[in-house]
Amino acid sequence: MKNIIKIFVVLLLFGVSTSLAQTNEIKVRVDGLSCPFCAYGLEKKLNELEGVENININLEEGLVTLQVKDSVKISEEDIETKIEDAGFTPGEIVYSKKDEQPGKND
Amino acid sequence: MKTIFRLIQIVTLVVFTTIYIRAQGPPIFSDSPLLLGLDGGGIRTFGKYISTEAGQTYIQPLVVPFNITTDFQIGGIQPYVFQSPANGETQSGFGNFTLFGKYSIIQIDGKAKTFRALLKYTQTFTTGASNVSVDASASQLAIVTGYITIKYGIYGTVGYTFVSNNSPDNLIYNFAFGYPLLPQKYPPFQLNLFLELNGSHTFDVNKHLLFISPGLQLITSSVFLIESGVQIPVIDDRNTTGFAFTLGIRYLFF
Repeated sequence: MKNIIKIFVVLLLFGVSTSLAQTNEIKVRVDGLSCPFCAYGLEKKLNELEGVENININLEEGLVTLQVKDSVKISEEDIETKIEDAGFTPGEIVYSKKDEQPGKND
Repeated sequence: MKTIFRLIQIVTLVVFTTIYIRAQGPPIFSDSPLLLGLDGGGIRTFGKYISTEAGQTYIQPLVVPFNITTDFQIGGIQPYVFQSPANGETQSGFGNFTLFGKYSIIQIDGKAKTFRALLKYTQTFTTGASNVSVDASASQLAIVTGYITIKYGIYGTVGYTFVSNNSPDNLIYNFAFGYPLLPQKYPPFQLNLFLELNGSHTFDVNKHLLFISPGLQLITSSVFLIESGVQIPVIDDRNTTGFAFTLGIRYLFF
């Protein structure tokens, strides 16, 4: 019985910690993104940044959204360098927190 | 027979020095000013079938670019050529090797659009098999420009080719308009329509050649595209050039 209670408590704590976990979201304006076939090099370059978990590229808005592990900080300089290396021009960079639960953006 | 071979070889040389010297990205027959950054490595190959009154030619080049810096790219083109003269046996072999360098001189980026220009130098060497290659090296200096948005792309190239071995020089010009038939998104699934004009003027012999070149390009993933187009001669001073059909692929590797 004691073991069952222990397992239950552990699972409960794991569930709570998961539901409260956050990732950093970084939105970057990228100028010059004019063709989808050209964007692959940008995705590859940004993926080299440590902690990047997901990349979304919106061509119409010229906007790249990075989902980054909460424990990792990526500097503006690093992001700008990667974008320039990919052959594009970096613009405004906005950092924000995002809950992993859907619909709970800060 | 020699004259027929010479004609085929001249057409091949003109085609290679005017149309084939490009490394990556749309459009199909013209060059693009977009260098894809330091991770922009890619290979490209395509089959080109050329029909003339002198015979048929099939060319399969392999194009490999390499980016030295974000603004500077070098690359090589190695074709394999099959020639079937109207009254002769089919011959085949490696064509002349070409080295090229591109240096970006203008980059003006905006939201979902860009204007770019680059200088391009190409050098063709007489390394090919004598039965399918022209015995003359060629150096070309060109300026390649483009205004590209996610709604359309306009591309232009003007270049001058110096040809050795007492062969005439030529001036080339390309214009291309590209229009995406599907919404532009990433990762891409695109169908692009191109209409291009590819022209050249060969000095001394005063031969002017102008193709109108419609084409379609299907992009199925971030790294792969397949494209096809036909070049129809609309100005051909000597009536020696027939249509050319191209079917090719590009693959980006990193």
